Amino acid sequence: MLTPVVIILKICENNLKKLVIFLFGGKGVNRRQFIKRALYGAGGTAVAISGFGALTKAAPKPALATATNEETTVFSSCEMCRNQCPVAVKVVDGKVSKIEGNPNDSGFGGVICARGNSGPSMLYDPQRLKKPMIRTGERGSGKYKEVSWDEAYTYIAEKVKELQQKYGGESVAFASRKGPHDWFFRAIGKGIGSPNIFSHEATCPMTRSVALHSMFGSEAIAADYGNAKYIVSVGRNWLEGIHVAQTRSIMKAIDNGAKIVVLDPRFSVTASKGEWIPIKGATDLAFVMAMANVIIADGTYDKDFIERYTSGFDKWQVEVKDKTPEWAEKETGIPKDTIIRIAREFVKHSPKAILDFGWRTGITPNDYQLRRAIMFVNMMMGNFEVPGGYYHKKYAAVLKKFPEMSSYAKTLGDIYQPAFPKPSTYRIDGTGIKGIPGQLIPEGDGAVSQIPESILTGQPYPIKGWFVHRFNPVISVTESDRIIEALKKLDLLVVCDIYMTDTAMFADVILPECSYLERYDKVFDMSGKTPKYVLRQPAVELVYPDTKPSWQIYKELAVKMGLGHYFPYEDMEEFISRQLAPAGLTLDYMKQKGVWTPEGMKPFYIRANDHTASLDDIVHRTDSKIEFYSEEVEEATKQGIPKYEQYPQPQEGEFRFVQGKVAVHTNAGTANVPVLNELMPENSLWINQESANKLGIREGEDIIISNGKYEHKGKAKVTQGIRPDTVFCYHGFGRISPGLKRAYGKGINGNKLINNVIGEVGNVCTSMSFVTVKKA
Amino acid sequence: MNEKTAELYLSFAGIFHRPHPEVADNLEELIELWQEEIPESKVYIKEMEDYCQEYPLVDNRLNALWEHYIPLFEVGDIEAVPYASVYFDDNGLVLGREAEEVRGFYRSCGYEIGNERQELPDHLAVELEFLALLASEGKIQQLLEFEENHLKPFLRLVLPLIIKSKRPVYSNAAKILEIWKLNSDRKGD
Ligand code: SF4
Repeated sequence: MLTPVVIILKICENNLKKLVIFLFGGKGVNRRQFIKRALYGAGGTAVAISGFGALTKAAPKPALATATNEETTVFSSCEMCRNQCPVAVKVVDGKVSKIEGNPNDSGFGGVICARGNSGPSMLYDPQRLKKPMIRTGERGSGKYKEVSWDEAYTYIAEKVKELQQKYGGESVAFASRKGPHDWFFRAIGKGIGSPNIFSHEATCPMTRSVALHSMFGSEAIAADYGNAKYIVSVGRNWLEGIHVAQTRSIMKAIDNGAKIVVLDPRFSVTASKGEWIPIKGATDLAFVMAMANVIIADGTYDKDFIERYTSGFDKWQVEVKDKTPEWAEKETGIPKDTIIRIAREFVKHSPKAILDFGWRTGITPNDYQLRRAIMFVNMMMGNFEVPGGYYHKKYAAVLKKFPEMSSYAKTLGDIYQPAFPKPSTYRIDGTGIKGIPGQLIPEGDGAVSQIPESILTGQPYPIKGWFVHRFNPVISVTESDRIIEALKKLDLLVVCDIYMTDTAMFADVILPECSYLERYDKVFDMSGKTPKYVLRQPAVELVYPDTKPSWQIYKELAVKMGLGHYFPYEDMEEFISRQLAPAGLTLDYMKQKGVWTPEGMKPFYIRANDHTASLDDIVHRTDSKIEFYSEEVEEATKQGIPKYEQYPQPQEGEFRFVQGKVAVHTNAGTANVPVLNELMPENSLWINQESANKLGIREGEDIIISNGKYEHKGKAKVTQGIRPDTVFCYHGFGRISPGLKRAYGKGINGNKLINNVIGEVGNVCTSMSFVTVKKA
Repeated sequence: MNEKTAELYLSFAGIFHRPHPEVADNLEELIELWQEEIPESKVYIKEMEDYCQEYPLVDNRLNALWEHYIPLFEVGDIEAVPYASVYFDDNGLVLGREAEEVRGFYRSCGYEIGNERQELPDHLAVELEFLALLASEGKIQQLLEFEENHLKPFLRLVLPLIIKSKRPVYSNAAKILEIWKLNSDRKGD
């Protein structure tokens, strides 16, 4: 280590040398000092180049001593989307050669999707982030310098301290794509006393979670698609929004003769497998209420189930009394006879019938009421805890309550963290405050769209710093330009990611995470009809040696911030072993299998053999009843029973703008992944043939889409597969970060054209914007 | 002869490694070396000298180098990916066969990628650094073999991209390296 005096002398020496070179053109100066020193060291003998060199001297070895071409298998879990399917990673000579599904997991059947297959191309992508970086130019200018991890941590720690002193810990928000990293990431936020910790869920399934919680007191409700005989999708598209286990179950159901009905303004791949109902946008609740109306009028609902297990049905009956098929026909554009037929078919196949509660929900401001109504119709038919209906997930804590099942329950251990400081104020989104809609927002998720609002408006108080982990609000949250405007106003933006995302490009500090193929994560609970734990472990050494796993990044940052005590573990092997020990499992076992599920346990449905079996152990509302009418919802939104709200429809010349998932990409996450980018580099705007004709637009032509405030260029896909009043594009394209070189500027970023309307329970509203389209 | 080759290789390695304070601080020395040893480089030297004068202080100079290094080699436009595998393997990814082959070559000559400043084996700067070490040890046969089989095919692909980037220091250094290693070959053809 150089002393200050030596440093001053060195600066003087160097500047003097430069001055001499400047004045005399270098003549007469010993010009090879530096090179010689670097090459030969002080003693003049050849040594490895210190300072800036990468090679070191070693004993010579045969060139290919380590190449064996032998294939080994590492069981781990995928992270190309958040479903985290168990995988078998094939490794040859220290390199990932291929990824397959983990054959030890029957639910997934040894299968993965195209995105899962593309993992190696991301692992070895030259466009990944490789070193921590600190911004040196204007935000968004792309001017950065690489720094050591220690410099990055020091910079962050100092800035956070400043913000804490000036504005309080609550002025720093934290947002991540929900996942096993949250235990570590969130500890930083909680440690500084910030209440403003968010997941991405408000941009995805949060209204469903709110609905389930309001009815069952639990979000852990799932659908048994594989055994269903009749499945109605309300915009869900299992064959493009892939979840391997669920997609396989849907295919199994179809193979077994199940009928699929799809309500969607667009003819999706799933719709092509069944009956397509091209419903008018934002009117799904009318359809669902009319189904309830038909079933009640027919008297075909499961009276015993309602009596035994539910409360508040009478209020629902009143609410849907006038929601007749005739009324719904006017709202939805679907003929009343079709509505009646579908309702009756649904009844006929119940309890092996599923009116699906959706995945990426958040279509309208009151979307949570749609999700509740959907589950009401299912509960009216008693489609719960029986094969082919809905069920509560059977994780260890649930199984323990059933004596005949308790032997299968193995509980994972918690890693103890000392108590975090209590935040000194409420959250910016009102989450958890009684008497307002925030009362219903899940505390672990929050309304992430509120962060940019608070940055820009200072309401209810200003947000000055934002930590973002593996999340890309510029593309994932609606009204991209507004998000960018907000990012530019921040005092501190820290982004941890694998790529230079559209959000990372505005960051002050960028922390490069290594990929899921190079790291451990916390063991996760993926229990469904049986308990299941899944391991993620490194398949290969770090490709870019200066990237790190999130558990290490946040632990090291915490130490720098004086929060190290919240990370009471040495490394992840220790962490995972402590998680597994109470379950009687070991890291070695998990490494060998990748997954644990109790041997010999069959799927467990509480009412499979006894339709009167108690549900008290899984329903956690008043008197253990599934609630149609909810006091809590009434208190929060004055709508204890869902009410139909009529939303505007597009005027002549306008289109409702909707988006959806595609099978070969994951939302805002994979547009730049080499193989996936090759498969689908850009999207286009689906427009109905008749509408396109009126506008003189032909297939493949350049177009301009406008919502009155923002414009976006794109290409037209002219098709019969969409309603004439609706246009559609796949989500996740039109990327603005030059750091995503393959994806940069290709296609349409739908969220640029969707206004940042925050729904009643904090959700984004994806289908509430209208656009015009013209030839470019 | 070996010494001169070693110094030249090392000077280019210094430039194409991630910006380093010592290299930034001694940029003038590298320019001097090229001017002296590669006379045809003169025309490219001027812009580099101007650059040195524009950023006399090492910190400013370092930041200015980062400003160009990152979009040129690291993230952003990545105008010239610095890893050989990306050019030689069909899928355009790092750590392909070429990386393993050069790693093997390093090993056979008694070199490993070090622990402290780890880098992929087929990074342009690592290959140049390796040749500097071979030259300094007088391992001429291995040097020629590595040049022919690995470095030159790589330079033919990557240098035009760096030159095209028109980034001060980097594109001029690439041009000078091209003159030294590739143009001299053409003359002899
Ligand atoms: S659904 Fe596909 S991308 Fe997602 S975790 Fe499973 S295999 Fe990976």
